[in-house]
Amino acid sequence: MNLSFLPADMNWRCQSCGATLQPGMVELHYLGNVFRVELPVCPSCSAVLISEELATGRMLEIEQLLEDK
Amino acid sequence: MDQQELRAWEARCIQEEPPGCRAGCPLGVDGRAFARTVAEGEMAAARAILEKSMPLTGIVARLCEAPCEQYCLRQALGGAVALGELERACVAAAPSQGKILRLPPRPKKVVVVGGGPSSLSLAFDLGKKGYPVTLFHSGEHPGGWLNRLPEQVLPAAVLEEELARLQDLGVSFLPMSQLSPQLYQEAEGCYLGQDDALPGAITSLLRQPDHLTFALPQTGWFSGGTSDEDDRFRFISDISQGREAAISLDRFLQGASLTASRVALRHGRTELFTRTDQVTPRQRILPADPRGYSRGEALQEASRCLDCQCLECVRHCQYLQAFGAYPKVYARRIYNNSAIVRGNHQANTLINSCSLCRQCETLCPNDFSMADLCLEARQTMVREERMPPSAHWFALEEMRSARSEGALRRHAPGTTNSRALFFPGCQLAGTRPEQTLALYERLRELEPETGIWLDCCAAPAHWAGSTTEFAAILEQLETGWSEMGRPRLITACSSCLQIFRQHLPTVPVESAWVVLAAHPQAATGTPRPALALSDPCTSRDDPQTQAAVRTILARLDQALAPLAMSGEQTECCGFGGLMESANPKLARQVAAARVAQTEAEILTYCAMCRDQLARAGRPVSYLLDLLLPEQALPAATAPVTISARRSQRRQLKAELLARYAPQEGPAPAPWEALKLNISEPVAVMMEERRILEDDLRQLLYLADQKRLKESIDPTDPAKTRGSCFIHPESGARIASARLGQVTFWVEYQQEAGVYRIERCWSHRMVIQGGRP
Ligand code: SF4
Ligand code: SF4
Ligand code: SF4
Ligand SMILES: [Zn+2]
Repeated sequence: MNLSFLPADMNWRCQSCGATLQPGMVELHYLGNVFRVELPVCPSCSAVLISEELATGRMLEIEQLLEDK
Repeated sequence: MDQQELRAWEARCIQEEPPGCRAGCPLGVDGRAFARTVAEGEMAAARAILEKSMPLTGIVARLCEAPCEQYCLRQALGGAVALGELERACVAAAPSQGKILRLPPRPKKVVVVGGGPSSLSLAFDLGKKGYPVTLFHSGEHPGGWLNRLPEQVLPAAVLEEELARLQDLGVSFLPMSQLSPQLYQEAEGCYLGQDDALPGAITSLLRQPDHLTFALPQTGWFSGGTSDEDDRFRFISDISQGREAAISLDRFLQGASLTASRVALRHGRTELFTRTDQVTPRQRILPADPRGYSRGEALQEASRCLDCQCLECVRHCQYLQAFGAYPKVYARRIYNNSAIVRGNHQANTLINSCSLCRQCETLCPNDFSMADLCLEARQTMVREERMPPSAHWFALEEMRSARSEGALRRHAPGTTNSRALFFPGCQLAGTRPEQTLALYERLRELEPETGIWLDCCAAPAHWAGSTTEFAAILEQLETGWSEMGRPRLITACSSCLQIFRQHLPTVPVESAWVVLAAHPQAATGTPRPALALSDPCTSRDDPQTQAAVRTILARLDQALAPLAMSGEQTECCGFGGLMESANPKLARQVAAARVAQTEAEILTYCAMCRDQLARAGRPVSYLLDLLLPEQALPAATAPVTISARRSQRRQLKAELLARYAPQEGPAPAPWEALKLNISEPVAVMMEERRILEDDLRQLLYLADQKRLKESIDPTDPAKTRGSCFIHPESGARIASARLGQVTFWVEYQQEAGVYRIERCWSHRMVIQGGRP
């Protein structure tokens, strides 16, 4: 997984900082594996938004693959 | 599991043993596959099956006296399947499919003296293996007495065709007159076929060959074809002797042992078990034309084959069916799975999906226990840290919750001692709190000094293969029981009962149903139309509890509808062994298959079975619905959601605690008060994604503006608990937080103090370099 997962609608604001989310590189870790992906991130506090589509799609797939399920 | 243990497992499953016909065929012809193929009308394919094991198929299929039929399981059910007649019909209908494959030529030459059936059979096998064979025959043509058979028994053209095929395999035919002693004395291997007229010089050299290897005392010499002329199976015995001698000759020429790991003829011996008690007898078809079956007759006769197999366990277990094979194959898959250190563990799902219900063990003629096999494999996986973290995660969280926020252990209010201790089990407490209380009241009427113990028996840890956690909980349970003065335990759950009995044998424990059955006044209620009683799988070895339930029902005048797999043979609902956790789809299939076994309304006495079976969309009652008319729930009641199971456990605990001192008990967590608005589709989504209302409330609580700001730690993003985003146009919010092993997300609208949940999701991956 070495990709960009920016949602079509990037108009989300970090509630604590008030900043609009920007594309940013993030590491996702699972069972000793690391994936670098581009996701919406708060430029001020680095909060990351993971969409439903990503979590229940690609991410779930990879989790299960890594689990040998 | 090591190699040796694998062999032991494999040996227990006899599904791969040959059926009687194959075991009774000296050539090992697969009569079962042959009959099936003939029944399908596929004569060419059926001939191909014969050719796999049969030398000289055109001849052997026509002449074999079918000793296999003596061992056919159909024998007592209308007569053996007429494999001999069917073989004749098959080769008459389907010509041979051309050439036979020959291995690359080998240097060592074989001399065969005699042209009878045994010699032809030996020449066929050795020719195929690449040996150049020179065969000396009596008379004008090879074949010996085969040349004297009437045309309708063995057409001359067929004999000729088979001889031509032998020549293709590198066999040369020479008349006996050309045989010189030098030829057979100098041959590297020699066979003397006694089923043909042999010259006197040869017969004088003949001694009794060894009955297994057909070796003569002279090195490199073998002999067969010794059957008496009036032997019932003369022809096929000689063919078989030729084949056995060929095996010996091949081994001899390769310098190998004649006997080492040689497979002996079975003479019908087999371990295969095939159930026949449901089979209706059908008479053997006699051919209208004495020359043999018509095509129609052959198809009909072949359809009498029982397709002998065991599969006793597979026939009844959805799980065993789902993976496409049978336990012997599964044992190997599981072994291979653990043998692979890295890489694809294909059998993980196989290992984690078994409900550990042990029905297979009860049905198997050899007590093969898939449950033991899978449980042991799970324990190994956990020990070696190969268990997929998500496989049993939810069930284990559920157990931990029941053991903490849902747990309670007290003497009855106003007493300081417990003569008995009611342990309802976490599932009953979570799904039917009112009934749990009412049952407790009834037990206290029988014994006022009955304490209460809300907890989980640790079955999930055991089923998940987590031996360390299981052992630790057992120890805590034993301590808890000691602290209560070591009273006798009464449980309403068959799983708890089983765990206590098997793993804490010092703790006296009995079923609540046994207690109620012993007190006629305590087991009252209203009967309903006939119910199909589904025993929980964990009651399999507990005839006492099973009988007690039936006693109670008889007292209520409750009629029972038959349910095939009951009592000792009962089936799992799909929850057992954490199947529901590791393979929810299969668990639903299991429940559906179970309820499909009856038209009647189902009755269970396991709270988990009740909800699991009800998920299949059929009315299912729980025993307490009959015994406690005031607390009865309709049989159509929907299964309790995972969220409600937790909150109901907490409520039950609070309600019990209130009986002691109104203020006692833990203050509810601050997030518990948050008000959610959850639509039906969202509730379904939460159930499927295993997301609890509790999880959402915690997220929403953390997402509160002020708390969020306070929790942000710029020096260590990992310490930050949650995050929240707002969509400026729609006003939608998304909150998230890591709770344990999982990061949860919720999208919602906040309106007048209520959170309207739009959707929620989760993942197990951990975010770094940013933060949730
Ligand atoms: S019941 Fe199942 S495990 Fe036992 S021998 Fe038959 S196929 Fe094998
Ligand atoms: S019933 Fe069929 S499979 Fe069974 S022994 Fe007879 S021919 Fe073979
Ligand atoms: S689910 Fe039950 S019957 Fe099926 S393999 Fe497992 S223990 Fe045996
Ligand atoms: Zn921010």
